[in-house]
Amino acid sequence: MNALLSGRVLVGAALILFVSLCAMFAPLLASHDPGEQDLLNILLPPAWSSGGDAAFPLGTDSLGRDQFARLLYGARLALLVAVTAACGAAVLGTVLAHIAGYFGGFLDWLIGRAVEVWMSFPPVILSLILMVGLGTGADRVVLAIVLVDWTRFCRVLRAEVLVTTQRDYVTAARLSGFTHLQTLIREILPATLPLLITLLSLEMGIAVIVEAILSFVGLGVAADQVAWGQMIADARSNFALAPWTLLLPMAAIFFTVTGFNLLGDGLRRTLDVRQTIARSA
Amino acid sequence: MIRRLTFNLAPGRILGIVGESGAGKTMIGRVIAHALPAGFAVTGGSLRLDDDNLVRLTPARRRALLGRDIAFVPQEPMTALNPVMTIGAQFSEHLKRLGITSRRTRALELLDAVHLRDGAALLRRYPHQLSGGMCQRVLIAMAFAGRPRVIVADEPTTALDVTIQARIVQLMAELQRNAGTAMLFITHDLRLASRICDEIVVLYAGRAVERGPAASLLAEPAHPYTRSLQLASPTMTGPRRALLALAHRMPGLLELAGMSGCRFAPRCPIAEADCLTMDPLDRAAGPMRVAACLRVDGAHRIAVSGLPVAPAIASGKPVLRLHDASKRFRSFWGATGTWAVHDASLVIGAGEFVGLVGESGSGKSTVARLIMGLERATSGRVVLGDRDVTRASAADARHRLHWAQMVFQDPQSALNPRRMVGDIVTQVLQAGRRPLDRTRRMERARELLAEVGLGADLLERYPAQLSGGQRQRVNIARALCAVPRLLVADEIVSGLDVSVQAQLLALLLRLRAERGIALLFISHDLSVVRHLCERVLVMHRGDIVEQGPTETVFASPRHPYTRRLLAAVPPDDPALPWQPFPDEAELMPPAGPPRAAVAVPSR
Repeated sequence: MNALLSGRVLVGAALILFVSLCAMFAPLLASHDPGEQDLLNILLPPAWSSGGDAAFPLGTDSLGRDQFARLLYGARLALLVAVTAACGAAVLGTVLAHIAGYFGGFLDWLIGRAVEVWMSFPPVILSLILMVGLGTGADRVVLAIVLVDWTRFCRVLRAEVLVTTQRDYVTAARLSGFTHLQTLIREILPATLPLLITLLSLEMGIAVIVEAILSFVGLGVAADQVAWGQMIADARSNFALAPWTLLLPMAAIFFTVTGFNLLGDGLRRTLDVRQTIARSA
Repeated sequence: MIRRLTFNLAPGRILGIVGESGAGKTMIGRVIAHALPAGFAVTGGSLRLDDDNLVRLTPARRRALLGRDIAFVPQEPMTALNPVMTIGAQFSEHLKRLGITSRRTRALELLDAVHLRDGAALLRRYPHQLSGGMCQRVLIAMAFAGRPRVIVADEPTTALDVTIQARIVQLMAELQRNAGTAMLFITHDLRLASRICDEIVVLYAGRAVERGPAASLLAEPAHPYTRSLQLASPTMTGPRRALLALAHRMPGLLELAGMSGCRFAPRCPIAEADCLTMDPLDRAAGPMRVAACLRVDGAHRIAVSGLPVAPAIASGKPVLRLHDASKRFRSFWGATGTWAVHDASLVIGAGEFVGLVGESGSGKSTVARLIMGLERATSGRVVLGDRDVTRASAADARHRLHWAQMVFQDPQSALNPRRMVGDIVTQVLQAGRRPLDRTRRMERARELLAEVGLGADLLERYPAQLSGGQRQRVNIARALCAVPRLLVADEIVSGLDVSVQAQLLALLLRLRAERGIALLFISHDLSVVRHLCERVLVMHRGDIVEQGPTETVFASPRHPYTRRLLAAVPPDDPALPWQPFPDEAELMPPAGPPRAAVAVPSR
């Protein structure tokens, strides 16, 4: 257990915890509604710089909306999408990976080719096409990410399943009378779980970026919902005048994704059986 | 780890270093190669090659010596060659480093010397196109290329089949004689070492317990450990006798620190009180012989008597019948296929121990998988008890639970590292429609562990916390849980040391006496089969070429392949000549890539 507490894991988890708390208590922390416009106070700088207003701690955007409130509410959407999309992609990819790696043969061939074809599309283009077809909305963003990114899980986990399946204890479980499903859950899933957790964490970071991209091009959530990508898109035209409107949402994305990546990378190092063995030997 | 090891190796001589795993054999090679694992260091003493102290070399001098004056023959020939370079390219690179010009001519000469025909064609091949034996020959040729002063061979034949092992060992001895090189031959096999070595050092827990000329050391071991090793190994001739099963196991690295006195004393059958406290110094034990024991003259007192088993149980109703069972593996799109097993027929009666011998790739394991329903027979029938289980359906699998269970070769891979021993051995009771609750399962687990000679304290351990022998016992306990009438054991003792092997063989025989269990014992070790089984089947390239009572088959083999297998085993009596047959496959590189169609079932 102590091995889990490496520097990377701690820093990553702290960042994610911070963003999660912000998202959770957004209504309490923000003094303004994120959609509330104050056209008298547009493009205000942050409160600490000259010309700032204490009512708008991080300034306002071109429609006079409170940046602080928008960042907090943006975090809600970002985390919601990150967690659900990553879990969805993980479930789809993991199930297919286990089927392919465990049963082998034709099923493996079929799923393997499907993954290859799928991955030959550039992911951003594929998700844009999907969004055009599906329409906007947070649930559609999640669906698009799941449909694009399940291949990451499938490809990596399949190899792990394949290796585990060849171990004699899996054969022994079959000979003991376990069904295929029981064998998969009892003997194989525990072996692939560390890798799955790691991938999940990394995928959440990716989902944050994809959500931001889709919102940036206006194919993400509905216009009345707050998204970091949208904030960046809105701030583009006023960059010279009010750089902070652009930099703040970018920093938010940066810290969230860094958090997920550090967490994922740290978990990969601490959970990976092979590396653990190498260290203890 | 290693303490006070002394040996001299003269030019043109072979020194054998013999010991079980964990004795420190490999460390010696590593000290010479300057490749000690992290945390180990040479704390004292010297290791001289003529004028150089190999322990303290300048890096430049080391580079000059290693590979040129000191050559190595590795344990795993297949992994020692670079898979993406042709044999020719690797050979040439090696010879270039040795400063040899006219490299091609020299390479062909060397390949000829290791009896590889058609060297020119061989140089164009890649390692994966050669068999393990051929790779080892190539590596031996490379080792001898620079006319080294010393060759260090660390278990050079362990990864190879028996018939090939015999030829490789003889080849090394032949080259060594011709070149007048000195050789350090590291092995776990006392009998093999006595065949090719002039002198032998026996290692136990890092200490050289005995040293002396090979022939006299084997004929009259002076140290109790050497004697025990000998008594723990089954023989190929003479009456079958029980094997000596030493208690406990060799102390590990951590235990050594707290030990005073003789390191073998806790297991020694003739140890007395002073053995545990006094560190035995080397004493003379006959001409040129040295043993580190306080009771040098007592070793001969160690003896085992009696038959290994109660006389064979008369074959009752057959538990297993195979009628012309065949298995053909097809490539994915079904173009070509290989017969892994061809028309195999066999019957095993209740309480009968049957051996199945043959080389790797002969189809032994496929027979086991057919019986266990892990493969479905292409044709023929598999009958367990009174039920035809050829189709390997779900109902067949339920029936099989109580008829046949399998014990796997590699206990490391056969036990899920994430489960506790108690759960592993009772997993049969967890499966199925009505799983038993944990309390009842632990009760059963305790019974099972007792049956295989393990204490109940292991119930909550994980496999990684067990020794190799304990793991294999857990493996057997799991197979016994559903009270099967037949055990199918695939090479279950091949990875174990002789003393542990002796314990496990005794366990199998006891299980038969107590429960009348039948056994299909798959092995490449003929002496173990002879010790254990009344009947033996010989497999060669998917066919059962010979079967009959073990004594009859081994005494007067009829099939040429059986004769070749038997000739590959060094005779028990060191005075008898050892004449393994030349292997055609070894001498002639096959035309195509030979291992393209090897039957490796994916699942």
